[in-house]
Amino acid sequence: MPETNQELIENFKAKAALVNATVVEKSSLAEALAYIVDVCDTKQAAQLLSDENVEKGPNGPLGCPTRATKILAAPDLDGDSFTKLESLCEGKNISCIRENLRKHLAGIDVGVSYAELGVAASATCMAKTDREDVRLAGMISEIHVILLDKTKLYPDLPSIAPQLRAHMSDGQRSYTTFITGPSRTADIERVGAIGVHGPLELHIILLEG
Amino acid sequence: MHTAPTSASDYHKKLDEALHDDFLRRTLDTFAVSYRESRAAVFKEVDERGLIKKIADAKDYACQHMDELYEQFKGEAEKRGVKVHLAKDAADARRIIAQIGHENNVRRIVKSKSMTAEEIELNPELERQGFIVDETDLGEWIIQLRHEGPSHMVMPAIHLSRYQVADVFEKETGEKQDREDIQRLVKVARVQLRRKFIAADMGISGANFAVAECGAMATVTNEGNARMVTTLPRVHVAICGLDKLIPTLDQALTTLLVLPRNATAQRLTSYVSWICGAGECASATGGEKVMHIVFLDNGRTTIAKDPLFKQIFRCVRCGACANVCPVFRLVGGHKMGYIYIGAIGLILTYFFHGKDKAKILCQNCVGCESCANVCAGGIDLPMLIREIRSRLTEEEGNAPGALMSAAMKNRKIFHSLLKFASFAQKPFTGGTQFQRHLPAMFLGKHGFKALPAIADKSFRDRWPNLKPQVTNPVMRIAIFAGCAQDFVYPEQLEAFVSILKAKNVAVEFPMEQTCCGLPLEMMGQRASAKDVAKQNINAFFGGNYDAIVTLCASCASHLKYTYPHLLENDPEMAGRVRDFADRVMDFSSFVHDKLKMTKDDFTNDGEKITYHASCHLCRKLNVRDAPRDLIRDAGDYVPCDEEEVCCGFGGTYSAKFPEISAKLLEKKLDNVAKTGASRLVVDCPGCVMQLKGGAEKRHMHVKVQHISELLAEHLKK
Repeated sequence: MPETNQELIENFKAKAALVNATVVEKSSLAEALAYIVDVCDTKQAAQLLSDENVEKGPNGPLGCPTRATKILAAPDLDGDSFTKLESLCEGKNISCIRENLRKHLAGIDVGVSYAELGVAASATCMAKTDREDVRLAGMISEIHVILLDKTKLYPDLPSIAPQLRAHMSDGQRSYTTFITGPSRTADIERVGAIGVHGPLELHIILLEG
Repeated sequence: MHTAPTSASDYHKKLDEALHDDFLRRTLDTFAVSYRESRAAVFKEVDERGLIKKIADAKDYACQHMDELYEQFKGEAEKRGVKVHLAKDAADARRIIAQIGHENNVRRIVKSKSMTAEEIELNPELERQGFIVDETDLGEWIIQLRHEGPSHMVMPAIHLSRYQVADVFEKETGEKQDREDIQRLVKVARVQLRRKFIAADMGISGANFAVAECGAMATVTNEGNARMVTTLPRVHVAICGLDKLIPTLDQALTTLLVLPRNATAQRLTSYVSWICGAGECASATGGEKVMHIVFLDNGRTTIAKDPLFKQIFRCVRCGACANVCPVFRLVGGHKMGYIYIGAIGLILTYFFHGKDKAKILCQNCVGCESCANVCAGGIDLPMLIREIRSRLTEEEGNAPGALMSAAMKNRKIFHSLLKFASFAQKPFTGGTQFQRHLPAMFLGKHGFKALPAIADKSFRDRWPNLKPQVTNPVMRIAIFAGCAQDFVYPEQLEAFVSILKAKNVAVEFPMEQTCCGLPLEMMGQRASAKDVAKQNINAFFGGNYDAIVTLCASCASHLKYTYPHLLENDPEMAGRVRDFADRVMDFSSFVHDKLKMTKDDFTNDGEKITYHASCHLCRKLNVRDAPRDLIRDAGDYVPCDEEEVCCGFGGTYSAKFPEISAKLLEKKLDNVAKTGASRLVVDCPGCVMQLKGGAEKRHMHVKVQHISELLAEHLKK
């Protein structure tokens, strides 16, 4: 029997917990943006893993200097939403950016991007990441926040074949990413560790349709 | 960097080193147990067997259409700005990739994990040509810094402790590291490698899939390094075997339900990246990535035409065959493959790296069927390993094997030899079932268990006096004895006969039967294995028995599943072998399912009895409930930890690799001891030989028996 949307949501949340992803439900984009700014505001400033000509704070836990001003990147927010995000950040020592993420490869605080759909069976988000800035938002950020419309949940991987194919048919060029939890490894003694080259945390905001 | 054993003695020396590496043993032990449990948990949510079948079918199709899929992929990828290359061998692939580097004025290269790049030994060549190459997968980076090869296809540094990793990192960074804290050690890679990603001119990745319908490739990863490698540098080169080609996205999505579950017991890895065409890249001239995909043949198109070995292309490189292998668990990947590791590694070494690298390695399979049971593509790995041994025998000869083969082909000579042995061993047995007084100098490493004595009188010699006279039988069966019971443990068969008598079953023992031939097969003596197969089938031909029952799980699986394969091209035997194989049954299934014996047939004094599940019974014949139900009928069944893990016998394996066999036995008996049972029953005389010999050597107070003996003893009068 096909699962109802509510069942898909419950399953998605349960599986997300197993891969150390944080899931929150928000009823509007405004609430989601407030959540994102709060996450960015309360986190420790990002550590700079490489050289960047920018004002630096004290060294972070890994012995690298931190950003004096945090960076919140949201390359695929529309103009209005981005303006809202900027206004929420006012007075918070957070700089919001939409492009040129390559200038900040040393590491940014929070990256925000949209998922096109979610897969409940594994708590996977499928994101269209053709644009380099969108991709980088989910790669070089310490915390990656994904916005996912909760009506766009599918039961399992085989059920999303048409949506995946739509990115690639008719000679299209694309770079599509399935994201399931933050970056991780078990390469040393099989001990699980979160946060290798990608985000240290993944937050998924389930939005009302 | 990569070494393969050059001689048996060299290999035994290396195995000894591994067996004395306590850290390795502990890590792999913990992993083996936790992997088994977590894998089972994540497979509960999907139809495991159905998915494996789907993957096998899809990969078989792809293998049959490799050339067309390549052409289709190339067309689609070129439409999207990707240059596609076909390298005929490793040297060709190295040349193509280096040339791409030179043409694009590349100096620094970052790599994400690729077994294909390991296969072609890419790094040394790139470095020789002046490129700076950095591995970025944590495990690969560690082993690169240590100048060694991977010891597992998915977890390349699983053989190393945190302290060894800390040593390497201290040397690399020039800074003291927290030697205990794995979380901190992981972050060293995060800090150290970010600069390298940023500075790199070219990224080299592997590919888990190459999808022909759209010219897309995909990487399946956890750390996020493959996304860096394929995004940041201006040039991206993907290297993948032709076997990674699949027709459509659907097959990739199906495979993704099994690959991560099998590899690391994950539902899905953190990232799956689908790269379809040369996309946006701010660091490239004109803002467009320079993208190349290099397909590697290296013998693949030839193997694809091999009717038997083409199935190796069902491999999705999940590494599960190593994860469940009891030998891998003891000795680790560096002793279990050349570049590719585990059961599939033993096979791929032969094809990709040649028989010299493979001939010693491919002997090290105990034949326990664990890998065949979990393979994502349903590859019959143990059978293919035996097949390689037989090809090596054809190519190179095998003196001891040939001698044994010559003796066993002729039943009369073979049986006379066994009878002579029963006479010749007399000074050594002291009248017991063990060869107690064999001079220690003859034993060496083989001294880990008491060796069994040949019985005074074989079962075949006892048969005329044993054969029950039955009137109005409920059914008519025949016994296939197998060497171990005919000549070493005839009492196990006698017990069976008393059960048959009690249940009014008529029974025959065709005298022309001989060894099932499995030992010959294990030694690569294919021609003789076929000869004895024919002898046995003919010995039972025309009997129209309701069942041909054997009390040996290994014989049963060989008669039932290997005979049809051995004789498939023999038109004369085709009908006979099918009829024979269909009638073959193992003891427990026969008694439980066909005779339908229940607790009402047995007395039960509540004795604590534990069980060892023989490899061939539980995995090859898939018989699991019948023996356990029967034990419960006649006693108090106490399950044993790791009940389905091999006891280390493996027929001729225990003679070839006594050091490994001994360790497997030790673990098994430790687990048996923990149950507190006073009796251990088994469904296979080979396992009885191993376990009884080991228990005797350790002076354990546990009676080791065939399950037939337990049941005969508890028959209600």
